[in-house]
Amino acid sequence: MSTNQIVEELKKHISQFEKVIEVEEIGTVVEVGDGIARMTGLTKSQYQEMLEFSNGVFGVVLNLEEETVGAVILGDYKGIKEGDTVKRTGRILSVPVGEQMIGRVVNALGQAIDGKDEIKTDKFYPVEKIAPGVMTRQSVDQPVQTGIKAIDAMIPIGRGQRELIIGDRQTGKTAIAIDTIINQKGQNMKCIYVAVGQKESKIARIVAKLEETGAMEYTTVVVAGASDPASMSMFAPYSGVAMAEYFADQGQDVLIVYDDLTKQAWAYREISLLLRRPPGREAYPGDVFYLHSRLLERACRLNKENGGGSITALPIIETQAGDVTAYIPTNVISITDGQIFLETDLFYRGVRPALNVGISVSRVGGSAQIKPMKKVAGKLKLAMAQFRELEAFAQLSSDLDPETKKQIDLGRRMTELLKQGQYSPMSVEDQVAIIYAVSNEYFNKFEVNAIKEAEKQFLDFMHKNKKILLDKIAKGEWDEVIESELKSACEEFIK
Amino acid sequence: MKKSNKQFAEALYKVTKSLKDKDLERVLFNFAKLLVRSHKLKQAERIIEEYIKYAKKQEGVKEIEITSAHKLDQETIDKIKQVFGDKVNEQQIIDKNILGGVSIKLEDKILDATIKTQLKQLKNAL
Repeated sequence: MSTNQIVEELKKHISQFEKVIEVEEIGTVVEVGDGIARMTGLTKSQYQEMLEFSNGVFGVVLNLEEETVGAVILGDYKGIKEGDTVKRTGRILSVPVGEQMIGRVVNALGQAIDGKDEIKTDKFYPVEKIAPGVMTRQSVDQPVQTGIKAIDAMIPIGRGQRELIIGDRQTGKTAIAIDTIINQKGQNMKCIYVAVGQKESKIARIVAKLEETGAMEYTTVVVAGASDPASMSMFAPYSGVAMAEYFADQGQDVLIVYDDLTKQAWAYREISLLLRRPPGREAYPGDVFYLHSRLLERACRLNKENGGGSITALPIIETQAGDVTAYIPTNVISITDGQIFLETDLFYRGVRPALNVGISVSRVGGSAQIKPMKKVAGKLKLAMAQFRELEAFAQLSSDLDPETKKQIDLGRRMTELLKQGQYSPMSVEDQVAIIYAVSNEYFNKFEVNAIKEAEKQFLDFMHKNKKILLDKIAKGEWDEVIESELKSACEEFIK
Repeated sequence: MKKSNKQFAEALYKVTKSLKDKDLERVLFNFAKLLVRSHKLKQAERIIEEYIKYAKKQEGVKEIEITSAHKLDQETIDKIKQVFGDKVNEQQIIDKNILGGVSIKLEDKILDATIKTQLKQLKNAL
């Protein structure tokens, strides 16, 4: 196009442009402080409506009072001063959604922060939405393969479930979530990782790892960093679930990780106190339970008539010195369909993932397990339970009767088997084979500390010689023939 | 129940509307006593503000704020005032930032016909 043409084109557009005189409803700022603002005017504004401050920063209405309106400021509040005008936008807080969000790192408002192009979507979903009702749901019946032996066998997670990951700092909570995301490759799953109040360095490391393993091809990372205003931390999980809801509405399965909700609760407490809402236990406002319940209730498994999509939620909660009776942990434990407990003691003893299998549960995931896993996991669970009871006696091994000794021995081997390195997810058929072999005492001839090596050899052997059998197991087939085939494979291996 | 400043102002307006001289004085004195009793004396200034706002609304007086880039002549101002009704009090603000045109503020609303806003719209449209 020549310059003249461009000018002509521009002229045409400008002449077509119609003058619209805007009628805007405005208010005046009367108080600003620490990420919140109070305004007079704005008489018709509604709850959760976006406001535009005179310096272009947006805010969200959270308090509607007799004479003033309280709002949180989404962004830099330093340029806002008393007497500034504030405009209503008439829009409820919403985030862009769609396929374009995949592979991107965005902030709580859905704006790209990964330095790549601007995200262009034409679809927006409201950040707050009422969770799907009873008639649109169905029970959980498909598994989420985390690739972690201890979880897939004993605390299985189903698509649409909400499974809490809880533990002290530095116990590998994030590691479990990230491993799960990495293992979703080829599982027909979209993933959303919401980082709330995390260190930017940690987020950068996670994103790099996800890129390296190819997990960014199906993952969106929503970030509200430690240096972002509390309002961002408060909204980030809701933004994440809004993006997830788009995929679920398309009939797809989504996995969403909230890392972590403790920090979101802190941010909410900060904002509530600044807005002068009355504090309750541990200074949290009265509706902090609702903050989490309405978020986690949006995880769902929709029935066929509603597209059959699902949102699986993995919220993370950080405890202080193992205290799960604090306010936020008890709340979230009661909301979710089970929890994965991680313990510092186990972590330092070298049991990684540092899962306490005694108090970790999955209330609905059992029905989503594939049949072969269900069969072999039963034995594993029983052996582990017996081992835990007898563990106290283990030091007196010389005085024990042979039966008890045998159980302790098997328990130790099992514990060794369930250890698993980070970023090394295992496919479900491999898990079934190895758990079958160990729980049926085929590995008793190896020393406890040689189990890891033997496991590797066994899996190599299975992949080389018994590929057909493994494929059958992967499909979820299980009968006497397959079991006896697996049995003879184990016997062949230990020869 | 706690009563708001607005409620006090409205009550005051309704009571004093048709009163004169002596009666008015007595009512105002009683009103002050009422404020003392309900610990609202500190809010007196706010109540007066609310009262003025309410009285103006009841009597149909409108306050408008005209913002323009240059000083407007009386004829233009009168024309603008006519649009809003008979009893209009205007206030003029000069703001070079808007480049041209006018914006008129009426209570919580702004009628924005400034060149600045229109240029912004044009930018969005292109």
